[in-house]
Amino acid sequence: MRPTLVVGNGPALFVIGPDSARAVGPFSLDPDPLRAAARSETLGPSDVPALLLAALESVPEGSRLLASPPRLARAIADSVHRPVESPTIEELRRVRMSIPLLDPTVERRFFLALGHLRLERALRAPEEVLITLAREEERVERSVGREARAAESFVPVPDSPLDRHLVAWGRARGALRDLEEALRQTLEVEAQRQVPNLSAVVGPRIAARLVAAAGGIGALARMPSARIQLLGSRRRPSPERGPRFGIIYRADRLADVPIGRRGAYARSLAALAAIAVRADASTHRDISAGLVARRDRRVEALRRRRG
Amino acid sequence: MRPGRNFRPWEGSPRLFEVARAERREFWTEAVGDPPPVYGERWTEVADRRYRLFEPGRSKLAAAVVRGWAGDLPAPGERWLYLGAATGTTASHVADLVGPEGRVYAVERSVRPFARLLALSERWPNLRPILGDARDPLAYASLVPPVDGVYTDIAQADQLDIVLRNAELLLTGEGARLLVALKTASMGRHRSAAGHRESAEQTLAEMTTLFPSVPLEPFHKAHFMVGGRWGRSSRLPVRETARPTTPRGRRPGRRAR
Repeated sequence: MRPTLVVGNGPALFVIGPDSARAVGPFSLDPDPLRAAARSETLGPSDVPALLLAALESVPEGSRLLASPPRLARAIADSVHRPVESPTIEELRRVRMSIPLLDPTVERRFFLALGHLRLERALRAPEEVLITLAREEERVERSVGREARAAESFVPVPDSPLDRHLVAWGRARGALRDLEEALRQTLEVEAQRQVPNLSAVVGPRIAARLVAAAGGIGALARMPSARIQLLGSRRRPSPERGPRFGIIYRADRLADVPIGRRGAYARSLAALAAIAVRADASTHRDISAGLVARRDRRVEALRRRRG
Repeated sequence: MRPGRNFRPWEGSPRLFEVARAERREFWTEAVGDPPPVYGERWTEVADRRYRLFEPGRSKLAAAVVRGWAGDLPAPGERWLYLGAATGTTASHVADLVGPEGRVYAVERSVRPFARLLALSERWPNLRPILGDARDPLAYASLVPPVDGVYTDIAQADQLDIVLRNAELLLTGEGARLLVALKTASMGRHRSAAGHRESAEQTLAEMTTLFPSVPLEPFHKAHFMVGGRWGRSSRLPVRETARPTTPRGRRPGRRAR
């Protein structure tokens, strides 16, 4: 006997088999495309349309019942209390041609709603929050610096018609500084929570920037230290002469190292950072004390070597 | 600078227009969305129709057309799956080519580019964005109806595997098209760029009738457009013998060939 297959096409579900190859349906997840999108993302037993379950009652015991995607298979299995398998690629491909197309307006609204749902969920993930914060904080920091430099070279003239604007500009610069400060505080808290070891070694702000430049904690953990050393550098490394350091060159304690030794320090720090972020990504153990001790020994050694 | 009246459909696709200029050939697509510009490209309006410049430097598909691509292009009314849509630069042009009756299902995995793709889809009525991983076509098979073609631009070492897995499950069948913008730089140094192209053609030849592939230089370094029509035919020669693999340590990619 042919198997019975339940397949989705966006907000609509169809039953194909066991008697005919024609798709029976649509069984809509919800009449409203927006709510249908939300349901299709969760897809628990309560989201399976009752009419669909009624249609499945005629499927004889002992015949195969299939459903795709896997989440739909689980939801149906929980509702009808019998095993529901996933179809093979070949089985799925064969029935796909017999599924009717959606109405274009419904399809479009469904896709846009689904896109927004997935995007929001992805951006709400703690790691993405950290990345967004790091990027914003860096951007605002640059603006603060740029405005401050502009203010330095601006000579105020008494009783000038510019006075009024100058005051407003000063207020705007203050607001920008406050924003930067607030962003930085949130960023540091987040970084210390998500990458505690890395934050201890290079400082929370630089840790967050490294994660952002790598595209995620996992991505950073997979990088060799030589790559971490170059993260965020502007020019591309070329065989002749490329950049030697990136974000890491702004890390904690760099100022304590004599200028001629800073490169060596940044190099060692990249190695320590690689170890630290691997602990943050996989074991979640706190190894910061040991790493910080190694870092500080390195600083001392570099200081002594000059004198 | 306005192209004026000399817009004429290119023989390969009725929604692609060629404008011959003294210095170079230019290609334009008829915009489906409003307002037309997507990434700051030039656009113009002639007799109530809007056209967007299809820039070879920005889009690998445009580069392929400029370099003399003789294979099929997305045609009006077709459904296409676009893997690796990023912010939608080329995806918007593919959507232009399939026209208002066609559909482009655009898959992108990265969150931030997807945000821009989604914003673009709000004003590009035939673009359907999907936040998902092209390695796992089963995850979006319930969203995408059978498609007439798959266009891929994903810089991954196993991009051909990914394309074929998608094609097997999602294409309408015999006669459907595959277009692959091949980035050989991300496919390993064990072969030269030309070697990657050849091995990609061999892989595709097992499942498709190949289109003649074209290099995308000088617009995109070490890139090729390869593709074919699903279903193997005996018309084209298929290289049966596998070439010996390059011994480790030799780096043909570094040498000029």
